[in-house]
Amino acid sequence: MQLTLNPDIIACVTGEPTLTELNDIEALDRIYRSRLLRFVAYSTGDPDLAETVVQDCLLKAYNNRDSFRGDCAVYTWLAHIALNLIRDHQRTRKFQFWRKVQKTAPDLSEMSSLLPSRESSPESQMLARERAQQVSVALETLSVNQRTIFLMRFIEEMELQEICEATGMQISTVKTHLHRAVKAVRLKLGGRI
Amino acid sequence: MERHLTNHLTDEQFTDLLLGTSPSAVQAHLKACSACAEEAERVSGAIGSFEQHSRIWAERRAAMPPIMAPVRPPVFEWLHRPQAWTAAALAIALAVGVGVSARNHHVPVAPAQVATAQPAPAVSPATLKADNELLSAIDGELRADESTPASAYGLSTAAHESRNRPAKRMIDE
Repeated sequence: MQLTLNPDIIACVTGEPTLTELNDIEALDRIYRSRLLRFVAYSTGDPDLAETVVQDCLLKAYNNRDSFRGDCAVYTWLAHIALNLIRDHQRTRKFQFWRKVQKTAPDLSEMSSLLPSRESSPESQMLARERAQQVSVALETLSVNQRTIFLMRFIEEMELQEICEATGMQISTVKTHLHRAVKAVRLKLGGRI
Repeated sequence: MERHLTNHLTDEQFTDLLLGTSPSAVQAHLKACSACAEEAERVSGAIGSFEQHSRIWAERRAAMPPIMAPVRPPVFEWLHRPQAWTAAALAIALAVGVGVSARNHHVPVAPAQVATAQPAPAVSPATLKADNELLSAIDGELRADESTPASAYGLSTAAHESRNRPAKRMIDE
């Protein structure tokens, strides 16, 4: 009798990374596109540029999947690639970067009617939307590093160590950027203390 | 860092609170200080709202089909085709061969043999009238076949009407 073993089980036993997602460009797109799109769109302030960066990012990850060693989460690796692509765009399109934000930043108010109604009243929903908009505006005032790290920690919910891996920064630097970003956002939200 | 707990939280303590790494003394302060508790609730609530709104925005955007840039053929693409080079070489060789041949067999052309532009022959009014009738008939048949979304719904727009006017007579009657 011949036994066939699931490759995923073999990978778990041998400790090798499971490359199922990375071997399938459609799976990569399905699982990570939306998440990456949000991160890149709010990092750059340009949803159209974000589309291009995300597409390049997923393609690059797929083409270089053999270089993924599995010592971090796939999303951390993708975020690292996306950051490098954003930096490339910053270098080549610096004059356009983040300046068109007032015209092109994702408009959160468009989505207000689509939100599930968790709030108790229309007033509460409006307040939540205004607060979200205030955070969005506050993000525009941050430096690129502060914004990137704020988004990674509070929106993408990445651990500090993952942020260090994705950005290549020391943990103390990450914390410093995070403290400053939180302070700026607090002020924008009308911090009273 | 656990100072000022009788006052309010420092920026660092506040960030640690948002990160979920605050020590127990900070948690105890929040229970005692309504101002700090209110602010912590407000900021974390705002970030939560932003997370929710932006996630929905991204999901909607990701669900849209990607906008593919039209594929433009590269400039001078034909330069990269070997067949084009072969064809160009053959054309040059042919042109050179024909040129040499014509020079060797050149016969002077008499001025009388050079073609000159002749005035168009006069057309009789009867022919003009027949041509115009034929054009009108063709125009009418074309208009009868023409249908637009507007006409399909029984709508008639100014643009549609102007387009359906009879074609300008090309030949004066």
